[in-house]
Amino acid sequence: MTAAMGDPLSGQAPSGRGHWLALSWRGLRRDLRAADVRALFVALALAVAASTMIGFFLDRLERGLERQAGQMLGGDLVLEQSRPFDNEIRQRLRDAGLALSEQVDMVSMASFDGAFEPASVKVVDDAYPHYGEVHVERQGELERVATGPAPGEVWIAPRLAQLLDIEEGDSLQLGATSLDVTGLIEREPDQQGGFGSFNPRLMMHMDDLEATELVQEGSRVEFELLGRGPSEVVASLQDWLDTLAAEGVEVQDVRRDRPQLGNALSRAEQYLSLAGLAAVLLAGVAVAMATRRYVDRHLDTAALLRCFGATQRQLTRLFALQLLWLALAASAVGAILGLVGQAGLLMLLSNFLPLELPPPGPMPLLLGILTAMAILAGFAGPTLLRLKRVSALKVLRREFDPLPASAWAVIGVASLVFGGLLWLYSGNLTLSLAILAGGMVMLAVLWGLGALLMTGVLHLASRVPATVSGNALVVRLGARQLARRRRASLGQLLAFSVTFSAMAMIALVRGDLLTTWQSQLPDDTPNFFAINIQPNERESFSSMLEGAADSRSALYPMVRGRISEINGNDPRAAVPDEARGDNALRRELNLTWRSDVPEGNRIVAGEWFGEGGQGNWLGAVDAHAAGDAVPISMEDGLADRFGLRVGDTLTFAIGSAEITGEITSLRDLDWDSFRPNFYVIFPPDVLERFGHSYITAFHLDSEERALQRELAEAFPGVSLINVDAILERVRELLSQVTHAVELVLLLVLLAGISVLYAALIASRPVRAHESGLLRVFGAGDRLISRIQGAEFALLGLISGVMGALLAELAAAGLYLGWLDLSPRMHWELWVVLPFGGALLIGMIGHVLSRSVRRQTPMASLGLLGEA
Amino acid sequence: MTILQDLGLSIVAGESVAILGASGAGKSTLLGLLAGLDVPTSGELSLFGESLGDLDEDGRAQLRAGRVGFVFQNFQLLPTLTALENVLLPLELSPTAGADARGREWLGRVGLGERLDHLPKQLSGGEQQRVALARAFVTLPELVFADEPTGNLDPATGERVIDLLFELNQEAGTTLVLVTHDHALARRCQRCLQLDEGCLAPLSLEEVGI
Repeated sequence: MTAAMGDPLSGQAPSGRGHWLALSWRGLRRDLRAADVRALFVALALAVAASTMIGFFLDRLERGLERQAGQMLGGDLVLEQSRPFDNEIRQRLRDAGLALSEQVDMVSMASFDGAFEPASVKVVDDAYPHYGEVHVERQGELERVATGPAPGEVWIAPRLAQLLDIEEGDSLQLGATSLDVTGLIEREPDQQGGFGSFNPRLMMHMDDLEATELVQEGSRVEFELLGRGPSEVVASLQDWLDTLAAEGVEVQDVRRDRPQLGNALSRAEQYLSLAGLAAVLLAGVAVAMATRRYVDRHLDTAALLRCFGATQRQLTRLFALQLLWLALAASAVGAILGLVGQAGLLMLLSNFLPLELPPPGPMPLLLGILTAMAILAGFAGPTLLRLKRVSALKVLRREFDPLPASAWAVIGVASLVFGGLLWLYSGNLTLSLAILAGGMVMLAVLWGLGALLMTGVLHLASRVPATVSGNALVVRLGARQLARRRRASLGQLLAFSVTFSAMAMIALVRGDLLTTWQSQLPDDTPNFFAINIQPNERESFSSMLEGAADSRSALYPMVRGRISEINGNDPRAAVPDEARGDNALRRELNLTWRSDVPEGNRIVAGEWFGEGGQGNWLGAVDAHAAGDAVPISMEDGLADRFGLRVGDTLTFAIGSAEITGEITSLRDLDWDSFRPNFYVIFPPDVLERFGHSYITAFHLDSEERALQRELAEAFPGVSLINVDAILERVRELLSQVTHAVELVLLLVLLAGISVLYAALIASRPVRAHESGLLRVFGAGDRLISRIQGAEFALLGLISGVMGALLAELAAAGLYLGWLDLSPRMHWELWVVLPFGGALLIGMIGHVLSRSVRRQTPMASLGLLGEA
Repeated sequence: MTILQDLGLSIVAGESVAILGASGAGKSTLLGLLAGLDVPTSGELSLFGESLGDLDEDGRAQLRAGRVGFVFQNFQLLPTLTALENVLLPLELSPTAGADARGREWLGRVGLGERLDHLPKQLSGGEQQRVALARAFVTLPELVFADEPTGNLDPATGERVIDLLFELNQEAGTTLVLVTHDHALARRCQRCLQLDEGCLAPLSLEEVGI
């Protein structure tokens, strides 16, 4: 054992840093043969691999999404107002380093051959588009071009062509001018989502705008200035942009107005972070276990060095440096694995992910190395201090071993470090503290439970009479060895149960995520939206769908209104800064009324109209008539963004009228449900007097598509929107995300196995001693291996039970607190973990102790050289 | 490296033999070989008439089971087992009726009847070695190997342990092979052998000091 360090102090007395660097490097190289050093290496490399793989991936995804956001917005910075921009503003943007493009948006009548249709007109210049391509069909060919129509030409949406019965080459009348139709727009890169503008698109060149004579005093026209450039440039303009916003310019930029990821993807993101942390935690546990053995093995070396005159400081430095080398090497290997892994993740998600992602940046790598160092310091630190405290006398007397590090000190420091990592990764201090506190409580509970179980096992083992033979004897001896080695066994029990529960939790969450996703989009998810159904068409539209379309949503009335006041103040002043640019403030909202809670909505605060003895919603009519606030129900997420609570009031401008509502309930709803969803719901009898139309969603199978034509013919004014393509994309995304999640699960499993490996290595010497003695007394290989097998299996079994308990509790906490799923019991856990655990630990233990059993009793008892 | 060479030695049943030698002479290695705890690179060894060279590790273990007892310099008690459990360990390998009572009886005979449930760390060195003695004799072995049984004990305690060892040995009529560097101890054996530079030579009683 002393040979591990050779004779590091031979020659001159240690001097200078270089000497210690070289010394530690040599020591580590000699040490690489030792199983514990290899276990440390593997655990650290896995931790770095997990954290860099997920870090690289998420980092690239974030930056990719920012880019995509730029595309959706039409630029990295977009200014919008209802009059033309001053040159001053243009100049300021150019000076800052942004490339500019201008647009004008309005709704206007397009006509052809006596037919008139409202069109959503977008006027673009030569710089259009900043990002992405327009998909346009010209002469039957679909082309992707990075430009808009040339002067004198228009491109129109196929629906407009259909409504006007106009073809390519025809001349379309717009205002005072006529333009040639030269293409059909299939897709625009900068398409701001949703059903905000229901009129079909018409795109034309800026040079033709004047001739249309459409821009007049009082006409509703939006002028846009779109800038393209790095986000730092946009950030540098922030103060100026704020003053512009205060003057009524709408300012959108990619950082604030980034589209939210779909629920599925953002949950997958959270899942990946969670799994990454689980892998890091497991690697930490493995490091802690392997370190125990490392320290035991180096106590003699440390004592010798003390004899030769090394100070505690020098010892600390020597071993710290040695492990630093190890951590660096492991980080390098881990980082390479992480790079390969994130490439794998991207490949799995490539069909879905927007555009090409930016290359991996350096941050995740730094974070990965930092993680390795933190794990080493936190999970190995307290144990390593033993080496420093070793007494030189140990060389003479074996029993002068320094006291083992207190289990609570080890766990305490490790928890603190892990809490720090949690904070670093999640950026959420409260969450990290909560998880940490919960974890500590759970550990204490597990410790107690483990001790209790151990006593129980011992009790049971002693009940087996000493005279039995065969299996009973094997179990009796195995159980007793386990239970008698109480301290070490408890440590292993904790490590294994944490490992099992982390593995199980990651697997559970994966399963529940998938089930939730799948149930979210059943086969009969509505794939058609019908909007603009007039009140008088309502009955006949419903009856036509009757029997043909399944999975229909109700018909919701829809009134368009703009938020004009919040709690009596200007809405922009009333909401938190970061919500000033919110779409819901800039655009008209779709308002509806209902007497009951819509399907898929859940009241999370307050009470629905007329419930809880607050009086009937019919009272709302009187309230309204009396000029008082009417009760309204608001979507929870929007209320949260605006910092609103039950009792706050909102005033809506609907046409020329204003209505004030008081929030009486907040609703939670699923925006990915492919059903009509509303931010604000009024009680009946308040909005009816305003102009309204109806919206509904329904599912049509491909063989029922004839109905689609019939509907279009019977209700020419109704817009039917087919969302099959979007649905398909979401389904595809889900299946790809599933693969990504599985890849990460594999990583967590590997980290778990590294824990088992490290723990078994740490306990090897004790087991070697036991089996050596048994052999001296005449036990054969078979018997010893069966006794050890029984011990391992029992350890696995108990760890499995405790792991199941821990996983169940932790999963419940996670579902409620983070992933927004409803918790449930997982019966399968209680079967799979104990028996799987018994099998797994039994097998790994068996394989690892083979070398122990191969040793001659002389060697395993350490008899050689004793005399 | 050659530790032992050209050794010829046979020990007959009921005999007590001391092997003397300086530190590092290879006494423990020889003992390990005699007991089949290790294998020689060359040469013939037989135990109870069976050639150890023909047996594998398991075969040698089986040969020892119940027939050979051991006393080690560093006691070799399992630290997690009580005194009684340590004594019972060899019995448990070949299940015997009334094992528990036998274990208690032997611990009583070495004077530890009151300390059955103590863990090794709660016992003094002498007491630990007495537990080891009880463990060596509890199977009523035909042969007991003792490797520097007093090496880790102070003289007075060592004396008492040795008295006990020979007392038990005589009562049971066991063959005893004792490795030591202590001439006083060796003197109590019927035959003494000196191990020197890997060679074994008989010592006359005079040389031992009788």
